[in-house]
Amino acid sequence: LSSHREAPEISKDQVADSADLYAFISPDNPSTVTIIANYVPLQLPDGGPNFYEFGDDVLYAINVDNTGDGTANISYHFRFTNKITNSKTFLYNTGPITDLNDSTWVRRQYVTVTRIENGKTQTLGTNLPCPPCNIGPLSTPNYASLAAAAIHPLPGGGQVFAGQRADGFYVDLGAIFDLGDLRPFEQDHATFGLTNTGLGAMAAGVNSTAGSNVHSIAIQIPISQLAKSGTAPTNASSPSSVIGVWTTASRQKARVLQASKGTNVESGPWVQVSRLGNPLVNEVIVPMATKDYWNAQSPSGDSQFAPAVLNPELAQLLPVLYPGVFPNLNAYNSAAPKRSDLLAIFLTGIPSGVVAGFQNSMSTTEADMLRLNVAIPPTTSNPSNLGLIGKDAAGFPNGRRVFDDVVTIELRALAGATIPLVDPKFTPDAAASTVTDGLTSGPSDLTADGTESYLPSFPYLGLPHSGFAAAG
Amino acid sequence: VIAAAGVATAVPSILTAGSATGAAEHKASVRAESPTLSGPPSDDLVAHIRDLGTGEIGLYTGEQEVVFHDQELAARLFNASR
Repeated sequence: LSSHREAPEISKDQVADSADLYAFISPDNPSTVTIIANYVPLQLPDGGPNFYEFGDDVLYAINVDNTGDGTANISYHFRFTNKITNSKTFLYNTGPITDLNDSTWVRRQYVTVTRIENGKTQTLGTNLPCPPCNIGPLSTPNYASLAAAAIHPLPGGGQVFAGQRADGFYVDLGAIFDLGDLRPFEQDHATFGLTNTGLGAMAAGVNSTAGSNVHSIAIQIPISQLAKSGTAPTNASSPSSVIGVWTTASRQKARVLQASKGTNVESGPWVQVSRLGNPLVNEVIVPMATKDYWNAQSPSGDSQFAPAVLNPELAQLLPVLYPGVFPNLNAYNSAAPKRSDLLAIFLTGIPSGVVAGFQNSMSTTEADMLRLNVAIPPTTSNPSNLGLIGKDAAGFPNGRRVFDDVVTIELRALAGATIPLVDPKFTPDAAASTVTDGLTSGPSDLTADGTESYLPSFPYLGLPHSGFAAAG
Repeated sequence: VIAAAGVATAVPSILTAGSATGAAEHKASVRAESPTLSGPPSDDLVAHIRDLGTGEIGLYTGEQEVVFHDQELAARLFNASR
């Protein structure tokens, strides 16, 4: 998926597993940036009685670089605590939960938010209530009001929410990881010589995350609090108008299990176990043998991963999986390619002069961060889910909005659609502008199957799917 | 080798269990090579013997890590685990 279970070790640690990261100018409040970091991926909504929650032994962070060196100038830390209000029951709730203080709610979670800038720590909120999970019409009868009550204002402006949401990412995982058998193009797949596979006809994609929930940390922050200048930039051509965002999860170095007490000892410094900037980088660019290592690194050291970006495995595979469909890419691959288009998209930002009137690069430092030019206003009329390659400069890879079709964007980039940006002599194959995993009807479709519940305002991701509705 | 859950109280007693001279040397060595512990108080202390040959021991407490070298202490802890 985008980063769900993307590396061997983190796939065994669901609460610390970063799944998606979004950063965009808030369309309904354009003086602010909204950043959403999703964790605890692939939740079955009916997974009780121990419904999903953040790890109270995990340090979650949203990091912002506004100087371009791949290190954080500003970090927001999120720590969670749990409270059990009734020690006599096995239930998550003993009656309908009608508000966040309802005595029927047994297992609760609270978040403490701190901001760290230049070594100075400021507590923005302490033990702010998180909402319960969306269990069903009897347990959480007015879920929208419960979730709304868990949106908390921040001192100095902005707001924060931490709790369950519908997963807004969409991907046909079953097709992509069945040896790249994209359903809309399976009639062209090589099928490795296998016959009687039942394949061979064009079909729409299947959204693997439809109906699943995640836990989101969403924070909306005035642009002036993130920009290098301390004011909201207005010059989109200036590198100082760009911020780089990534999220991390860390665990303490030592853990001792104490079976007799039912509690554990966590001790020592925090060790980073999960990281996410651009979608799918660790998932499909970094080789499996180094994925866990990648998760533990800082973006500032990402030049070590540049070779995998400059000659990605998936770009080599496409002409093999689809013989005759990508002849120009195949020829390009044969000439020891250096995909500087992908290097710009993922590691440096796109410098001025590559895409007319656009840039989102602070420096030449190779660092996987979600770069957002905060001087580019949100697209409020006819946005394209293809973002920049759909001529919508407010979308991925200029940050990432909840509806951006990052799988199709990256498939097309890997297929060669963005090579002419840096090599005008190259002519992309026709398929490079049509390849997709088939989950939207086109660039104007902002409601891929299973994601129809996006909200027009903070926290933008839809209400979580109800456990009762999911059962059966 | 990881020594934990009880090492917190065992370390001082080991340091003072040897000869008076030896114990003093251990303490001096620890003081010379280790930063002072600070941060939130914690009842839990986890010791990780990283290298028996050099006596490198990592101590984890609160959100801190302290590294020091004490071959004799490392050997004692290792022997106690056998």
